[in-house]
Amino acid sequence: MNNRSSMNKPLNDEAGSIQLPRQTQSRYILGEVYSIRQLTPSIKEYTIKLEEEINPNPGQFAMLWIPNIGEIPLSFADYSTGTVKFIICRVGFVTTYIHRNILVGSRVFLRGPLGNGFTLCSLKNCLLIGGGYGLAPLYYLGRILAMNNCRLKTLLGFKNSSDVFYVSEFSEISDTYISTEDGEEGFKGTVVDMVRKILAEETFDIVYVCGREQMLMKVVKECSAKGMKTEASLERIIKCGVGLCGSCSVEPLGLRVCRDGPVFDGRLLLKLEDPLKNNREEICIKN
Amino acid sequence: MYKELKNLDYFCKMGFPEDLSIDLATSISKLSLRNPTILASGILGSSCSLLKRIEDAGAGALTTKTITKNPREGYVNPVFVDLGYGYLNAIGLRNPGADNFSKELSKAKKNIQIPIITSIGGSSIEEFMYVAERMLESGSDALEINLSCPHVEGYGLDIGSDIKLTQQIIKQLKSISSKPLFAKISLHQSRIDILEKYIDAGLDGISAINTVKALAINIKALSPILSNIVGGLSGPCIKPIALAVVYEIYREFPDIPIIGVGGIQSPEDAVEMILVGASAVGIGSAIVRKDLEIFREITRGIGKFMLENGFKSIRELIGYIHRR
Repeated sequence: MNNRSSMNKPLNDEAGSIQLPRQTQSRYILGEVYSIRQLTPSIKEYTIKLEEEINPNPGQFAMLWIPNIGEIPLSFADYSTGTVKFIICRVGFVTTYIHRNILVGSRVFLRGPLGNGFTLCSLKNCLLIGGGYGLAPLYYLGRILAMNNCRLKTLLGFKNSSDVFYVSEFSEISDTYISTEDGEEGFKGTVVDMVRKILAEETFDIVYVCGREQMLMKVVKECSAKGMKTEASLERIIKCGVGLCGSCSVEPLGLRVCRDGPVFDGRLLLKLEDPLKNNREEICIKN
Repeated sequence: MYKELKNLDYFCKMGFPEDLSIDLATSISKLSLRNPTILASGILGSSCSLLKRIEDAGAGALTTKTITKNPREGYVNPVFVDLGYGYLNAIGLRNPGADNFSKELSKAKKNIQIPIITSIGGSSIEEFMYVAERMLESGSDALEINLSCPHVEGYGLDIGSDIKLTQQIIKQLKSISSKPLFAKISLHQSRIDILEKYIDAGLDGISAINTVKALAINIKALSPILSNIVGGLSGPCIKPIALAVVYEIYREFPDIPIIGVGGIQSPEDAVEMILVGASAVGIGSAIVRKDLEIFREITRGIGKFMLENGFKSIRELIGYIHRR
């Protein structure tokens, strides 16, 4: 049905834009935690070996189920032959439980890949923009783009120097710059300030962005004003994960983050009246 | 002929431009539908924009999510299981509550042309009446009382199991409005003697069937999957059950319109449901595999079936097998 086991190999496409068949599945697959890295005081990276191959597109997500505790949506931070990496920030009940109780060797369950990922391309000039733990899907994306001979520049924004992570990983695949609001590391200011500075000097074929929605919308506006194509990954509380329940709908367009997204074309997002409505920071979080 | 058939653009949008002599319009009680596909309750129907998307996808009518008096967050994850042969869910009647939803419904009524049926839930007569009044004020074209949600204590099936209470609810709801009143029933309530009492109390139509109470275990986790443990089973595996229920209801009450719901995934499934007696078909979990395209696919496929088999109007198909 699909031949996406070649996902991690270079893609041949002269035209430069590659549309992979959308593959999703929602059965649970057993995984075992292989290693854990503490990246910042509130962020850990989990490497999980799965019972079977799932071959996600960069930007797709999975639902991670911890029996008797709950189930949360997570972007793929990386994937290679049955091994998946997740970046998990401690924000609510389930993520706090994971940080405290999920250890190397723990069994977890995953259903995915779900949703629509980023548009992949080759031989293009791409800009990756990530804020905080929102950088997760951009690393997997960047790795695939780099393999397809894209020229990459990455801008990562963090609150302060203790929040900085994944810089060496991104540096291996792209020209990487960071910003911190206190200026202790890299550019002083927000990632949006840094984006403005870069865009004054350079143009890109496509800009990929993921992070807090306020930042993301500003970046989409800046890039769109300059005529650049943007794609942004949104975060919502996701329940069914397959587009049935409507819990993750973005108004006023009725876009389902889990099914129509989580990656959306920036032009679509510019039509949103109130992108912050229903954001996870604003509503009661049970996850 | 159905007036909108004359509007070619409109009909092409429904994905069935081949032969304009085929009449796909149907009716349930006082509601006129451009085609027999209805968004089933519980699926996506919680905001104006989502309902509008389903209209644009080609549905003949819309059923909202079940609305209760107060907002309900629903259950914590996991709330959905893909079993391969069907789906299990326990969303927990997640909805914005009657007051919030009435604003959405007013907006929806201004932007949407096709009939909107509001599914209402309650744990008492008072709650049903409160929700019904709000929804009718906001322009709901019909009400569907949820007598059958299998996974929320005090609601749905718990109410529907009390026959006297249900009769009272029907009587009182009919006393405040002449808009059509339907009941969504489960397999367990499909006894003819019970339905007769509801029809005598004033019920205008029946939606059958709701999901079937069910449970899924993951043996590698040594655990039930749903946070609520039990949920409602939908999808292909319940279609034969739904067909039997609709068949029996039509056999006993041929004048009562039936919305056939349960496992309809293809035009063939929809035709089967109509042949046993449904005037319209509810579409829900088919969206998992086929997304919103399913509405157009089913409408187009029913039309194709009618062309190939010499039927001119969908009305000739409804309950056909009872007249063999």
